[in-house]
Amino acid sequence: MKRSKNKTVRAMMVAGCVSLLSATGVAKAADSTSPIVIPIHNWSSQIVMAYVLGGMFEKMGNNVEYVPADSQAVYESIRNGDVTISHEVWQSTFGKSFYNAMAKGGVIDAGTHSATTLEEMGVPTWVIEKDLCPGLPNWEALKDCHANFTTPDSDGKGRWLEGPQSWHGDLMPERLEALGLADKWTVKFAGGADALWTELASAKKEGRGTVVFNWTPNFTDADGFTFIEFPPYYEGCRKSDGGDGKCGSPKGWLKKAANYKFPKTHPAAYTAFSKASFSTQQIGQMAALVDTDKMDHKDAAAKWLADNEDLWMPWTK
Amino acid sequence: MIEALKQKKYLQFILLLIIFVVLCMVIAPSDSNYLWRLPPLIKDLPLAINDSVDFAMFEWMPIEVYDPEIEEFEQKPLLKEVTRVSSGFILFMIELIREILLGGVKTIVAFMGWDWATDNQWARWPALPWTIVAGGAAILGYALNGFRLALFVGLAFTYIAVFGQWEPSMQTLSFVLIAAPVSVFLGLVLGVWAFRSRLVESILNPLLNMAQIVPHFSYLIPVMVFFGIGDHAGAIATIIFATPPMVRLTLLGLKKVPPEVGEAGLMGGCNNWQLLTKVLIPTARRDILIGVNQVIMQCLAMVVIASLIGAKGLGNDLLIALNRLRIGLALEIGVCIVLIAIVLDRLSLAWANKQTDYFADLSFKQRHKYSLMFGAVFVGGVILAGIGSLIFKEGFNYLYLIPHNKGITTENFWQAGVDWIWDTFFYSLKSFNEWLIVEVLLPVKNAYLSMPVAATFVLTMGIGYIVGGIRSALIIGGLLLFIALTEWWDRALITSYLVTVSVMISMTLGIVVGTLCAQHPKSSRFILTYCDTFQTFPSFIYLIPVMMLFGVTDTSVLIAIVVYATIPALRYTVEGLHAVPESLHEAGSMSGVNRLQRWLSIELPVSFPHMALGVNQTVVFALSMVIIGAMIGTDDLGQLILGALSEKNGVGNGLVLGLCVAFIGLAIDQVIRTWANQRKEALGLE
Amino acid sequence: MSTSAANSSDALIRCDSVYKIFGDQAKSMLESSGGVVDAQKFQEAGCIVGVNNANFEVHQGELLIIMGLSGSGKSTLLRCISRLTDATAGNIYIEGEDILQMNNKQLIELRRNKMGMVFQSFALLPHKTVLENIAFPLQVKGVGTKESITRAKEMVDLVSLSGRENYFPRQLSGGQQQRVGIARSLAIEPDIWFLDEPFSALDPLIRKEMQDEFLRLQGVLSKTILFVTHDFDEALRLADRIAIMKDGVIEQLDTPANIVLNPATEYVRNFTEEVPREKVLKIDSVMDPYDPSEEISDLKVPQDAIIETVAEAVLTAGKPVGVVNQAGEIVGALHASKIISILFGGHANTPDQQNS
Ligand SMILES: Nc1ncnc2c1ncn2[C@@H]1O[C@H](COP(=O)(O)OP(=O)(O)O)[C@@H](O)[C@H]1O
Ligand SMILES: [Mg+2]
Repeated sequence: MKRSKNKTVRAMMVAGCVSLLSATGVAKAADSTSPIVIPIHNWSSQIVMAYVLGGMFEKMGNNVEYVPADSQAVYESIRNGDVTISHEVWQSTFGKSFYNAMAKGGVIDAGTHSATTLEEMGVPTWVIEKDLCPGLPNWEALKDCHANFTTPDSDGKGRWLEGPQSWHGDLMPERLEALGLADKWTVKFAGGADALWTELASAKKEGRGTVVFNWTPNFTDADGFTFIEFPPYYEGCRKSDGGDGKCGSPKGWLKKAANYKFPKTHPAAYTAFSKASFSTQQIGQMAALVDTDKMDHKDAAAKWLADNEDLWMPWTK
Repeated sequence: MIEALKQKKYLQFILLLIIFVVLCMVIAPSDSNYLWRLPPLIKDLPLAINDSVDFAMFEWMPIEVYDPEIEEFEQKPLLKEVTRVSSGFILFMIELIREILLGGVKTIVAFMGWDWATDNQWARWPALPWTIVAGGAAILGYALNGFRLALFVGLAFTYIAVFGQWEPSMQTLSFVLIAAPVSVFLGLVLGVWAFRSRLVESILNPLLNMAQIVPHFSYLIPVMVFFGIGDHAGAIATIIFATPPMVRLTLLGLKKVPPEVGEAGLMGGCNNWQLLTKVLIPTARRDILIGVNQVIMQCLAMVVIASLIGAKGLGNDLLIALNRLRIGLALEIGVCIVLIAIVLDRLSLAWANKQTDYFADLSFKQRHKYSLMFGAVFVGGVILAGIGSLIFKEGFNYLYLIPHNKGITTENFWQAGVDWIWDTFFYSLKSFNEWLIVEVLLPVKNAYLSMPVAATFVLTMGIGYIVGGIRSALIIGGLLLFIALTEWWDRALITSYLVTVSVMISMTLGIVVGTLCAQHPKSSRFILTYCDTFQTFPSFIYLIPVMMLFGVTDTSVLIAIVVYATIPALRYTVEGLHAVPESLHEAGSMSGVNRLQRWLSIELPVSFPHMALGVNQTVVFALSMVIIGAMIGTDDLGQLILGALSEKNGVGNGLVLGLCVAFIGLAIDQVIRTWANQRKEALGLE
Repeated sequence: MSTSAANSSDALIRCDSVYKIFGDQAKSMLESSGGVVDAQKFQEAGCIVGVNNANFEVHQGELLIIMGLSGSGKSTLLRCISRLTDATAGNIYIEGEDILQMNNKQLIELRRNKMGMVFQSFALLPHKTVLENIAFPLQVKGVGTKESITRAKEMVDLVSLSGRENYFPRQLSGGQQQRVGIARSLAIEPDIWFLDEPFSALDPLIRKEMQDEFLRLQGVLSKTILFVTHDFDEALRLADRIAIMKDGVIEQLDTPANIVLNPATEYVRNFTEEVPREKVLKIDSVMDPYDPSEEISDLKVPQDAIIETVAEAVLTAGKPVGVVNQAGEIVGALHASKIISILFGGHANTPDQQNS
């Protein structure tokens, strides 16, 4: 019974003669020839790493396909099998989407990069050099310098430009409240990463003070960016977890995610993928090839692969 | 007194305002006061939608499918299989065209499977040299409309190639070449159906309104859930966005066909099909072609957003460029998008206007002129590419394919331009910006937020009642009630504030500039071309310079909205003024009015109903930009829609938020449309 | 000719109690009224009466003109007979076949082979050239491109538009556009030719020219024609018989002479009051029987000449004038006194009707 049902479905698909789904051959112990789908987001290191991993898979004899995707929405696609992997899952920015998709089933955790990440409020280094807020990066300095960070719509308070509210909810307003800074500082949610970078660029041109949400590794590292040092993070310190909400961000992880079928369909590729691990410095290198050396993403990936064979070759074994 | 009130609309408005102000002062702002804010009774609606979509998509009617890759039977829900297979067809078509242009393996895989393609590495479709594609397109232009079009098309393609945007442009082109015809076809079918059946028309009408106003982000998530991610998903989202104007214009055109023409067709012995295809549709051609133009514009306007759910090509590159603040590069990409739009528009127009010559007794050479020309171009292109491979021994063969971002670039020039603008204007703009925010925007925003919900209802429904009677009042009330019962009323107020301010600015700009331009046919044509261009030019590009100048503030959001929303204001003003009958001009001149008087007392009142529809479109455009404004940073509905992309119940949230935005638009639409129709009737313009 | 109605065997078109009423309740209201339709009462109920109980026949080769004020139902009647609209009740026979019973396919066949129609607003297809417009009914029928174009070319010559084959309708004057409309309606060589106020949209000079053109064509083609106009002069120039409509009712259907001389209703009388009789009446309607003993002038006038055209000659002849039929035989005599009373007398002076 099950068989015959299955047959009709297959017949329907074949009759469509278009479904790539049906175009599969007999299963082998080796990796399937159907392509591994890698998502392309909109920041340099992610794109270069996509081509780096893609190049690695191709070296192993796999077919690879790249697909542009929104960095938040991609986890739903991995879950559905439309995308195979995601290789830069940032803890505080994408952690929520990642775990949501995992809870629904269909996404697996494919290990963690050696790079540690930090996602935190901070200032461009020249703000410190100009001494716009004496005492930074210690957070206590914020108590006295808010006047240098006002904007027309901030009602006389200093402004923190936080990422979109969907990234961390009300974490930052709660922190300001908890630290007793709420009457001196206010939080503005930017619409996206573009807005953050634009703010950095225009503040620099104007020589004005700005406090911006940022992360590392990132291309802004090259220009110099200092993260504010808040009281250290510990388990349960956040308001939403029942804590007092004063703590800063933890050193975060950078994970890899995959569709649950990936280990079964492409066992060799999956093993390599789960072994793959990049350090902060290596990720910075990838980004710099594009951002600083103005290389094309694909060229950058090719160069990186050529330069770092002894790093990634062992993963493929 | 009561009699006077019945007669004089302005008295009614004054009374309404008084009641409104009194209500605002009397009602205390408190969460437990239902006159201040309604309880969020339908807070759980998004979740319910979400659950039902999940159920339909992932649980309903599971079928057993054997997955040979993991050698297991899997439960696959029926709906998902159906949507995936059907969207697979669209994907196949896109890939087919793409691989004709750029080469690849997908088409071969579709027939032979990945195993075969992997074992036979030679089986790769080669890309066409760009010279052949550009030449072929130019020949097409020549065949359709002569030398000038050929030159334009050829140059446009050459620009794209030379500036190193060939590959993404062809990816985008292949995607549009599927999405646009499908939209046109769907639009025609639905339009004809609505023309045939009143029932269908009355069902379709509100749906079309909604599809136009609901921000495209709202249906990105459902599309992604139903159809997955990739070019096909992008194409489907684009089709949803581009079809409504086609339906509308088809219906409009068909309705305008004089009944006698239809009867002439019948008497000529047409059956239903012939009547439709040979008489009605061709006669309605003017409007239908405007529909095609709109489809093409909408398709390219969606290129960037479609890339968020997997459409390859220029849109994705643009987002990447912007993320690095490379405005010059983004601008070059934007120009490519606009060029593709114009090329497609001109070619389709020329094709529709093509005439057959029955008398020419053609020789073989003449009859196959274009095929022969293409043959020559093909051979020439191959030879050139061959020569190229000899010249450019190392690196890239520029006569075959100019690789991505390896062409010439004017990026530095534009970057310098942006810097120049910054250096020149920043400080003067800064004080203006501060003044605007402190003196205008913040007070208006606060005023909106301090309206009790009861007062808002009285005001809006009252306006509806005065303008359109009890029906309008109830419609508006119903639409707003939906919003008031969600938990997003305050955010909707902020959206309304942004829309109100930007629509006012856009309308002022549009009417003033439009009137000036309408005085002269040349300037009219110029401004209409400008409208077309800016409608397709990705708004994302100017977000960054605007943010540079005005910061992450509401001013930037407003400017982004205004740039886009002024387009319909301009267009409808120019068109409205042109529609003023010549006899009225003459009558005016005879009674000795001067230019300004003529404008104020004749042209403006007569064209006002048409302009009012412009207000309508301006509102629609402004609402659809709310989401783009959210990319700068707002605390309105738009930001939540953006956020919905990453949420667990994103589908439901996105849809309900989208509905909220749409309902604001529909409420305004209700008032303006009713009023405009009344005016039109009064002026005898219908 | 009213007598010939009895001879229904050569009727090409026959209408039996045809009603056309617009409105949602048309059918039920008509049934309950039992066939006696009061336009006023129907209007109050939201129904508009287009055609009200039409009974008549049209014969092979006849030119029937339908007249009436605007809104009297002329077009509606024409549309019922061509079934562009479905009559609410009644039977319409064409060559003995009830067209209301025809299915779509038969109807299309009928139109493709037997009917042609000319419209007041020309109703040309704006996207097709003159030639394509004319060839359209042929192409729809499935005639090959080459053949239909050849045929269309002939039609272009027939309506004197040679040289403008490749013009679009918008590039033509009104008169020229209507020539295209005429050519198109004739392209399939129809038996029945409907013309709905074909010349009303044209200015008077062109209209006269087009009427002449029409007469010339009719002379060549001699079709069965239903011609709608509200221009009496036009009707008199062209008609075999005239039907006068008011509020959907055919008030009178008769020869031009009878309509003028014996109006059946007050409405028809008012309608025809202003019409100069000499322009309408033919000699045979005023001539006396030929008395061989009477001395008649050498001048002979044809039996079917319009009085106006011969009046002067008769008056100056001095003697009664002989009236001859087509074969040249003398069939009657015409006295100057009759002419004088027609030209200058009142209504009271009504000639006998022996020849009608
Ligand atoms: N489709 C229709 N629906 C409703 N009423 C109609 C329709 N067509 C014609 N009528 C009405 O029927 C009457 C007769 O119209 P018509 O035959 O066009 O008059 P005519 O051709 O004599 O000017 C008019 O009162 C007209 O308003
Ligand atoms: Mg009429």
